[in-house]
Amino acid sequence: MTPDTPRRPGKLLPPVSWVRNQLLPVLIPSLRPFSQGAPSSGGSGTRLQLRTRLLITCLFGGAALGTWLHLRSEKERQQKLQRIEDLKKVAIGQGDFHLVDHTGQPRSKADFLGQWVLLYFGFTHCPDICPEELEKMSQVVRLLDQEPQLPRVQPVFITVDPERDDVAAVAKYVREFHPRLMGLTGSPEHVREAYRVYYSAGPRDEDEDYIVDHTVIIYLLSPDGLFLDYYNRSKSEAQIVQNIRGHMETYQTLFS
Amino acid sequence: MSAPSMEERKACWGARDEYWKCLDENMEDASRCQKLRCSFESRCPQQWVKYFDKRRDFLKYKEQLQAGEYQPPGTTEKS
Repeated sequence: MTPDTPRRPGKLLPPVSWVRNQLLPVLIPSLRPFSQGAPSSGGSGTRLQLRTRLLITCLFGGAALGTWLHLRSEKERQQKLQRIEDLKKVAIGQGDFHLVDHTGQPRSKADFLGQWVLLYFGFTHCPDICPEELEKMSQVVRLLDQEPQLPRVQPVFITVDPERDDVAAVAKYVREFHPRLMGLTGSPEHVREAYRVYYSAGPRDEDEDYIVDHTVIIYLLSPDGLFLDYYNRSKSEAQIVQNIRGHMETYQTLFS
Repeated sequence: MSAPSMEERKACWGARDEYWKCLDENMEDASRCQKLRCSFESRCPQQWVKYFDKRRDFLKYKEQLQAGEYQPPGTTEKS
């Protein structure tokens, strides 16, 4: 122990020498070397002590970090499981549709399970937008077909104008875009029913009148029949293809 | 009346584009583009002629807005 240095009378603050010789060495052991009676014989002993302290601190810190990460991943896993359960309920409970395809065959939601679907609502008397979007959708399908490792996509066109678009009109229309493009029609009530199934899942449009106005959207449906994504007029073929490829690569079916 | 086929659509669009080009060149003076107007009207269903006329008006209006200071927000496309 170093002898106390005598305090100067009248001074309240500890002198610099006291700070250096008494206070600092306690806080930072490696500073002891110059004082008398240092606990160990020299620098290497105090450095070892420092290293030990550092090691212990790191171990505790690592353990704390590890625990936190584990708890976080557990929480994420639980949330993911919950989300899957919620989605399953939506997939089953999302309602069904009863339409007829352009060959006259009845079609409902079950017919499309297990397939990726690109869906577009339109009408055959549409001046320009529907043909453009259907052409875009067909081109997307053609591009995806060129990648044999990806599952085939089923393009579907549902008319929002069932009064004028009967089976024959729809058949004539879809034939000109893509051989796999399936057209669906039916009674006005059934078409409204189908539109509700997907419209409620898609982005909102201001106008609910589906005859005059309809959302210009191409929907992507997963093999579970769930709405996964949508593409508006501004999306190019390349962007849509890339997006679909991404979904396919990360997709895991809910019902296995 | 069934809807136009793809070929008929393209013929209609072509006639429309020619008519619009004429209007562009003549400062929207329709009297100078009568022949193209007739061609346009004969190739497109009446509903489409009305629709494309309205669309032309809208596009011109949009151009005027954009030429000025004010930039209108993007509007959702409706067919």
